[in-house]
Amino acid sequence: MAVGRDDHAFRQRWFEFLAPISRKWRIILGTSIWILFFGLWELAVLSGWVNTLLVPSPLQVINTLYELFAERGFLMDVGISVARILGSFVVACAIAIPLGVLMGSFKAVESFVNPFVSAWRYLPAPAFIPILLMWFGTGELPKLALLFLGVIFFLITLIMDHTSQVRSELIETAMTLGGQRWQILWTVVVPAVLPSIVTSMRQMLAIAWTYLVIAEIIASTTGIGAMMMRARRFLNTDEIMAGILIIGLLGLAFDVMFRWLQRVLFPYLDQEGHA
Amino acid sequence: MNLSHAKGEASTATAVRASTDEPKLRLERVGKSFHVPRGPDIEAITDVSFSTYENEVCVLLGPSGCGKSTVLRMVAGLEQPTSGELTLDGQPIVGPAQERGMVFQAYTSFDWLTVQQNVEYGMRLNHVPRGERRERAAHFIDLVGLSRFADAYPRHLSGGMKQRVAIARTLANQPSLLLMDEPFGALDAQTRWQMQELMLSIAEAANTTVLMVTHDIEEAIFLADRIEFMSRHPGTVHEEIAPSFKQGRRLRQKEELIGLSGYDDLERHILQLMREQGSDSTDH
Ligand SMILES: Nc1ncnc2c1ncn2[C@@H]1O[C@H](COP(=O)(O)OP(=O)(O)O)[C@@H](O)[C@H]1O
Ligand SMILES: [Mg+2]
Repeated sequence: MAVGRDDHAFRQRWFEFLAPISRKWRIILGTSIWILFFGLWELAVLSGWVNTLLVPSPLQVINTLYELFAERGFLMDVGISVARILGSFVVACAIAIPLGVLMGSFKAVESFVNPFVSAWRYLPAPAFIPILLMWFGTGELPKLALLFLGVIFFLITLIMDHTSQVRSELIETAMTLGGQRWQILWTVVVPAVLPSIVTSMRQMLAIAWTYLVIAEIIASTTGIGAMMMRARRFLNTDEIMAGILIIGLLGLAFDVMFRWLQRVLFPYLDQEGHA
Repeated sequence: MNLSHAKGEASTATAVRASTDEPKLRLERVGKSFHVPRGPDIEAITDVSFSTYENEVCVLLGPSGCGKSTVLRMVAGLEQPTSGELTLDGQPIVGPAQERGMVFQAYTSFDWLTVQQNVEYGMRLNHVPRGERRERAAHFIDLVGLSRFADAYPRHLSGGMKQRVAIARTLANQPSLLLMDEPFGALDAQTRWQMQELMLSIAEAANTTVLMVTHDIEEAIFLADRIEFMSRHPGTVHEEIAPSFKQGRRLRQKEELIGLSGYDDLERHILQLMREQGSDSTDH
């Protein structure tokens, strides 16, 4: 009765609705698109289709990146940029997390603060650059202030929304167990919303990178963005591209770090981040 | 109900109390309307009066939308009555408190705590010393049969197990009145009757008075010492039913129910009540 496996192998096709793909093939396919991209780029340079002054070869960019770090103190610029991000982001979180949690928990706080916060969200942070430069000059403060303004209001709103979505049954259960308001805030609301807070932080950190680059390109003599603007004056496109590459890599690194943090802090969640 | 019979059974502590005792919980002409933005107020319940006695299992039964949850939430202190008064042991109910623990239909396990920590949670809120907390939690986890899972997180548990955690957590906190809103509604049939039997035995062991909501007729008859049947439009107690065919005994197993004479009649009677109530259900 046994049916020969080879004669009647289950249908396997490349394009199949709802069918999963193996891990091996996922990696192979994901890598090949990058190989293809860099291959075409290299080919375009080698065959002279593009002006190498404007489009350096990928190998040239990697080489320049190495030189920047090894001989020209680029690490300092990267360090300054990262410090700006972290400095302003820590301050933004220190304000947004407690405020957002309180707004999401108590309607009185929301009614008082939210009309203010939601109005600010409609103003793109770069609109403040001229006035920030006038107030704070060209030091670190205007950059930190721009990063801060760029993320704080969205962060507050995100955290408020997540907090108000904490299931009411959880809070009511704690109430009927005899919990007082602050006990419930600390032992139910905060732990319930914490994974979502970390997710919001991850998302807003990516936005902070955007504002960092804007700040450094417009008004800075230090940092990754400033290095790229200096390179532009000397037509060093390889340095500009090295800067783009490093910004991308740093963004990726922060994202990976946050995902790792999420796994370590919340082992009780499943892979997708939901209980 | 036959009073002399009840006295004969009193030593087993399973007899239904005579209604001449002081009630444990008492609702007096309670009404509740909800304000709805841009709409007329919704009168959820009107003129609800009934009493529950010490160690009794009292069941609120009725078609959906008749206000069972609203009554229970007011007893829990989660909702303020618009009119009338609610008292527990003669004291007015003014808000939620440890003495009135509630089990919800939706799962309420705290995902960030293990089963043991979940069950200890209420006692932690009430500053029960660590050693006693441990012991009491272990006892109730054992009662609901989850000792093997004491250190597991809720996401590894099935729906029935999560609900057992919620029951253990509430009972370990030693409420004098246990409130349950369709606690087994989300469970499959088999888990459901296992949980019903379990609930009866532990409510008895812990000497807890139970007020429970259901829309399941069989569940009501099996568990109840007293059934308050509620109607819609208006949402109020339509009829108080004592399942007297049980002769004041608590049943331990579901199959005992089937053999008892009088069970069929009661079920038929309640089914008719449900049908009458259901026939005007145009607002579903
Ligand atoms: N928070 C609320 N706001 C407005 N109406 C409500 C609210 N809670 C309950 N109701 C209304 O009160 C009535 C009774 O509801 P409920 O107590 O949930 O009934 P049951 O539990 O018997 O199904 C329903 O008509 C419902 O729509
Ligand atoms: Mg209900």
